[in-house]
Amino acid sequence: MKPRLAIVLLLLVTLPLGLMAWLGLRLVQTEKTEIDKSFHRLHLERLRDIEARLGEVISARERELMAQTASQDLAASSIRKRVSDSPHLRQIFVLDAQGDWQHPPLVGPISRDEKEFLTRAEQVFQDRSRFFQDSGEGAEAQDHGWYSWFWASGLNLVFWQRHSSGSIIGYELNRFRLIADLIATLPDDQASAAGPGGTRLALLGARGEALYKWGSYQAAEHEAPVALLDLGAPLQPWRLSAFAPPPTGGSDLVAGTWLLLVMALVAAGLLFIGLAVYFYRESSRDLREAGQRVSFVNHVSHELKTPLTNIRMYAELLQERLEDQGDKSQSYLDVVVSESQKLSRLIDNVLTFSRHRRGVLKIRRTLVGVDDIIDRVVQTFLPILSHKQISVARQAGSPKPAAIDADALEQILGNLLSNVEKYAPGGKVELRSQQSAGLITITVRDEGPGVAAGARERIFQPFVRLGAELTEGVAGTGIGLAIARELARLHGGDLICQPAASGATFVLTLATETGS
Amino acid sequence: MKSKRRLISVWIATLFCLGSAQAKQVKLEVSVSHPILLAGVKQTAYVKVGLTGQALTTTKDRAPVNVAMVLDRSGSMGGEKIRRARDAAIMAIDRLGRNDIVSVVAYNSGVQVLVPATKVSDKHSIFAAIRGLTAGGSTALFAGVSKGAAEVGKFLQRNQVNRVVLLSDGLANVGPSSPSALGELGASLIKEGISVTTIGLGLGYNEDLMLKLAMASDGNHAFVEGPEQLARIFNYEFGDLLSVVANDVAIEIVCSAGVRPVRVLGREATIIGQRITTRLNQIYGRQEKYLLLEVEMAAAAAGRTRAMASVAVDYIDMIHQGKKHLSQETSVTYSSSAQLVRANTNAQVMVAAVEQIGNLANRQAVALRDQGKIKEARKLLLGNEAYLIKNANRYKSKRLKDHSKANRVDFDNLDSENWGRQRKHMNKRMRTIRGQQAW
Repeated sequence: MKPRLAIVLLLLVTLPLGLMAWLGLRLVQTEKTEIDKSFHRLHLERLRDIEARLGEVISARERELMAQTASQDLAASSIRKRVSDSPHLRQIFVLDAQGDWQHPPLVGPISRDEKEFLTRAEQVFQDRSRFFQDSGEGAEAQDHGWYSWFWASGLNLVFWQRHSSGSIIGYELNRFRLIADLIATLPDDQASAAGPGGTRLALLGARGEALYKWGSYQAAEHEAPVALLDLGAPLQPWRLSAFAPPPTGGSDLVAGTWLLLVMALVAAGLLFIGLAVYFYRESSRDLREAGQRVSFVNHVSHELKTPLTNIRMYAELLQERLEDQGDKSQSYLDVVVSESQKLSRLIDNVLTFSRHRRGVLKIRRTLVGVDDIIDRVVQTFLPILSHKQISVARQAGSPKPAAIDADALEQILGNLLSNVEKYAPGGKVELRSQQSAGLITITVRDEGPGVAAGARERIFQPFVRLGAELTEGVAGTGIGLAIARELARLHGGDLICQPAASGATFVLTLATETGS
Repeated sequence: MKSKRRLISVWIATLFCLGSAQAKQVKLEVSVSHPILLAGVKQTAYVKVGLTGQALTTTKDRAPVNVAMVLDRSGSMGGEKIRRARDAAIMAIDRLGRNDIVSVVAYNSGVQVLVPATKVSDKHSIFAAIRGLTAGGSTALFAGVSKGAAEVGKFLQRNQVNRVVLLSDGLANVGPSSPSALGELGASLIKEGISVTTIGLGLGYNEDLMLKLAMASDGNHAFVEGPEQLARIFNYEFGDLLSVVANDVAIEIVCSAGVRPVRVLGREATIIGQRITTRLNQIYGRQEKYLLLEVEMAAAAAGRTRAMASVAVDYIDMIHQGKKHLSQETSVTYSSSAQLVRANTNAQVMVAAVEQIGNLANRQAVALRDQGKIKEARKLLLGNEAYLIKNANRYKSKRLKDHSKANRVDFDNLDSENWGRQRKHMNKRMRTIRGQQAW
């Protein structure tokens, strides 16, 4: 199989198959993204539910603190009792209505815990004007809210509220009790195992560390969560995350799509391969048939050649004899000879071309006189040229014998002159030969219509015949120039069509020694 | 008028104490290291406020227990450890009665509430849940305690013994895990009357965290070196639980003028001006819990009597189910006779003070050793040993003698090879002394 055909067939199979595969992949990917998205949404919903549960803990704490604020006595002893009794509180601070710090007292005896609180709450102290700010134009000043700040090992939370006296009470929550209460609200592994299977949820602290994890799914070390949710105030630096194995239902669906895609690809692949095989068989049958036709022509030509040679030989003998006797019928014989020569050239050309195609074309060099050969060819063509009113001008410049294939040279010249006879009637043909060291140059110039610049190379391709105008009414095989050039090149020379002002000029060069 | 009332209250308190001995009450004993002080100089004295629980005569008298067993089932608990822990937990729960409440929580990477808080009526299903326990995973200690406390919180009542018993053999690696975090949680739980007893198993757990949690919540602490000792320790713990005679014990000491409170030894307390308050979660039968107040006494002339402090104790009587109040006042007299001062020195109070001060030195030695300052730690322990021996001889105290010996063992084991184990032993002893733990 020829490589080009192989490539074409391969492309015929792979291109549409590749295109189908790409489109299918896109389809599967889109489907997968869709599944992932809805998976993500589902888990985000779950996290939102959990956030709501955590929110309930916070608002329960809020309500409890607000209820107690109403009855809170602001005397230091009452506040201290409150701190020591309430499991949710770590400390309490009080700002009086003027915004001055009231408790823990800045002067007078205080406990070590209170002293530590004053250090820890430095930022609250600096920031205390915020508890008295209006929340916006015309709006009432806020009377309660959350305040958080970072100190040492993490987030500190204060719930503050305006007391009926106008003072601000700030409750510092016991952070770890809050975390413990949040954990207590969240399900344990067993409760979550009963729920939608195989997930791992986690409450994450401010540094992304897990405060609590629950659920049966074992996430890999660097596995990305399927959903992440930032908690709202006052737990805003905290987050909820969900880990889950890839959706099982979804993966079935994707696997189904995959299966479908693979099946479609296999089917299409088989179809295309079938088509390719069909085309290949068709084309190879064409080629085989063409080969058979060539071989047939070849055989026929061979068979034609032998009788023709005999006809020619005896016609020529007869011609010579009749010439001596001055018989009138010589002119008829001239026609016979000329036509049989023409036929002979044609057959030679066909055979040479055939040999060339089969790669067995060779030349046989012998020492011959180039001018002699030119003369002999011209001599052969003279009757037919004069019949077409073409005069011949000879300029012999190659007197010394040279090692070339005489038959090949005859064939080249015959083809050139035959073209002149066909295409340039009523003018002059000029043949000039030159001989230099190792190189013979023969120029054949006619006065016909010439060859267009764009066609000067094309005419040497086999079976190429120029436009209708030129070739109309002229018979030809279209292989003469191709053979002539091939034979010249086998000689280590070339045959080119030179640009000329008028007419066609062919220059033939032959190297007389191989390889030089 | 005021002194008259005080006189009456002292009289009543004395009566009460006398009566309580018969009526099987908690006994309050306020004693001073130096009832007679040297005249004319400023000096240090100690006030010991001791509370001793009466012995329980019958077990059916005892207060109901609401306990959460929080068990480590992380990977390191595999094998004999988990097996022994299961057996110990089952054995301990078996001691509970129908009126008690129990919950069982296991933790590894997450938490599993194996037995939600329930009356101990169907022991078999509780035991079956515990028997199914296997080891594997990480250590979410904080979450385990949180869930355990929440289970106790479901049936929280002041007139029952609310307790979380935490067993751990490894470092907490999921959730908050600093000693201060657990301390903060413990400080919150004790306000609700929930104590956390922490039992460290093997050499891998974080004793600072376990100690802090126990201390902050007034729970017990134990260091169990081998799993075969677990049953014994659980037995001790449940022995305590089943012998609680008083709950929610609030102690208030108000110092008189001329008496400056310096520090409280042996217990966390809040000092604000002349007022000292602290809280004990419970008092066990036949065990004494005390706090020692170090005060600076202003100088006074010979022959003068100075009121020193008034002590008030409020608690919930677990046997007779009701709030009780105890109070006592104490005073000192000044004398110019040093011999008289020495002769009247209360050896018992001094031994307690020396014990607690020696304990502080031990704590400091651990801190130095943690910083790698072995030499300094050794020096401190050596000094402490001498201090303990001197006072052991002076007060003829075997207890102090034993402490001095223990100090020598500590001194010998500061090198890196034995330090891990020794540190746990030291911490356990410190906790025992500080919290007057019976075991």
